[in-house]
Amino acid sequence: MTISRRAFNIGAVNVLGLASQTIVWPALAQSEQIRIGWLGALTGPNSAPSDGFNRGLRYGVDAVNAAGGANGRRIELITRDTQGDPTKAVNATQEMISALKVHAIFGPANSGESLATTPLMARAKMPNLHPCVVNSLIDPTKYPNAFRMGPSNRQWDDAVRNYCLKILKVKKVAVIGDTTGYGVTAVGDSVAAFKTDGADVVYSAQIDATQPDMTPDVLRMKSAGAEAIVAWSTSTGMAARLFNARAASGWDVPFVGHPSLGSGEVGRLIEKAANWEKVYAINYKSCSFDAEGKLPERTQAFLDKAGSKLDLKGTLLWWVLCGVDAVDLFAKAVIESGGVSSEGVIKFLNAQSKYPGLFGDYSWSPTQHNGYPTDEVVMGMANSSRNGALKLAPGYA
Amino acid sequence: MEYASVFSILATGLAMGAIYALVGVTYNTMYSTSRVMSFTAGQLGMLGGVLGSAFVLRLGLPLVVGFALTLACCATIGVVTEIVAVRPVLKSLDQHLYVLSTLALSLMIQQVTAIEWSTEPQPFPRVFGIGSGVWDEKFWLPIAACALVTLFLEWLQKRTLVGRAFLAVAEDNFAAQVLGLPERNLRIAGYALAGAIGGLAGFAGGELMLAFFANGGFLNFYGFVPVALGGLGNNRGSIVGGLALGLFQQAANFWVGGVFASVAVFVVFIVVLLVAPQGLFGPTTARRV
Repeated sequence: MTISRRAFNIGAVNVLGLASQTIVWPALAQSEQIRIGWLGALTGPNSAPSDGFNRGLRYGVDAVNAAGGANGRRIELITRDTQGDPTKAVNATQEMISALKVHAIFGPANSGESLATTPLMARAKMPNLHPCVVNSLIDPTKYPNAFRMGPSNRQWDDAVRNYCLKILKVKKVAVIGDTTGYGVTAVGDSVAAFKTDGADVVYSAQIDATQPDMTPDVLRMKSAGAEAIVAWSTSTGMAARLFNARAASGWDVPFVGHPSLGSGEVGRLIEKAANWEKVYAINYKSCSFDAEGKLPERTQAFLDKAGSKLDLKGTLLWWVLCGVDAVDLFAKAVIESGGVSSEGVIKFLNAQSKYPGLFGDYSWSPTQHNGYPTDEVVMGMANSSRNGALKLAPGYA
Repeated sequence: MEYASVFSILATGLAMGAIYALVGVTYNTMYSTSRVMSFTAGQLGMLGGVLGSAFVLRLGLPLVVGFALTLACCATIGVVTEIVAVRPVLKSLDQHLYVLSTLALSLMIQQVTAIEWSTEPQPFPRVFGIGSGVWDEKFWLPIAACALVTLFLEWLQKRTLVGRAFLAVAEDNFAAQVLGLPERNLRIAGYALAGAIGGLAGFAGGELMLAFFANGGFLNFYGFVPVALGGLGNNRGSIVGGLALGLFQQAANFWVGGVFASVAVFVVFIVVLLVAPQGLFGPTTARRV
């Protein structure tokens, strides 16, 4: 049988084509970088949390890559600054899904943005870890791809309410928040829960975070007889102005609430150091100094290892640890599932029970996507920040 | 109402009103020499706070030097506004292209500040360290700055040749050119003056508003209200309108709370404009046609 040159060439091209489909492409896919999308409000008035998460994510990516990657595959962190704007977050999500073809997304870090992006990610079956607190963001039926790494608003709310009612033993509270989607939702949830527990909510309001003078609101709360002020806002400027106005009105009512109350930025804006006394911010056992000034063993070991590679100035430790954990979880998901398919990553996350992260022990199942343990949420003394960690607030054993 | 509330309304209301008034004067000063509403006015106010904090707190310069540098930088940005965003569109004023060009420059200034400075409010230095409570300098400094600017502009316009030349250009720039006045140079000087006034507003109000990039948009918005209330190009109207706005806004903060206060301010603003579309004080001059 003679084979013409033409037939030989056609046959050779077909064989090479088949080989490239069956051998070459999987090899390329397996060495392809793992693309993690990161949607953070890195600029804008509510950028403090994203700045902290960003430090953790970058450290986590560098650490995994330095150790040889996940199954030999390097991680690429693709960042988009949403500026706290849901429209920008939606556009960035579309870009990440359609154009950048990321394998998983961390964020947004702001609930207002997450409310807009979560349905989009669900449609694309995009594995999504986020630290946002709004309760409705987690629904394993509607959003089987979305997993919460931080506490929910309900868990924060429980910690704040329990501290007010059981440790501070106050009966009358004022509940305030900023005018963002998060602020409005958080105030509504908090007021309802306080009322359910029999507390008297004597004042509740949304405050414009850019308002230069908080005296009107502070005086209204004082007139209403508030024994504690519960504050839900990520705005450090608003927090500092509230503390200054409290001091100017000669009032020593305690503030209890959002972690941003303990951000280093607040310390730079208060008029006197004393204005930051009696302020208790949500914190976590993993990021709390005990009475002897020591952090939990796991946290301290990590900080010793990270050393100067991790800048903790002016941020909160939990934001950073959560970012590091997110990268580790995605990397482990790739290793365990053997690839970057969304089904594999989601299956891995659904199977975690007390996954030992730095920030906390995460547990998810197909029916429960709130992964953070409630008993880890505690209150810390806002003005005691050192390396982003706080001292436990008075009253805890 | 308690005395504390009344004093707070007066102190904060007049201080914020003075800042709005100065931003309104910045709008007017730019408008009078070019017939352009430049939306960089609020950003100049923001830069007054940010640059003041940067020079004094971050670079450690003496307060007087920091103040002088702040005004000089803001005056320069005023001139840059004229060259970049105003001059190219002067020939087609009827198409209102200046809205886009000045708004674009305004957004650029804000974004660059956010990237280079900080996205969180930063502290502003104590200027004299005088006063406490409602007599704290953070309340009376903007009012004093507003009074000084008012007196300076009155002196400039009534007692100096340059000031009269400004008025001539503002009234009819074609006639002013025919008379041999250097219209372009006067316009540049007008933008430099506006920049310095905006910078002074931000510096004087820095302790109250902090050094915060987002103040630019805030001041653009609220600084425009006294211009509309007082009549475009009317500085006295802007100052009265600004002070009234500050007082009303702070009173609304007490009566109805932060979110609704903004609504209340703009309801009144719209009603005033419906009743007196030329502003409460009318335009500076009536043009005979």
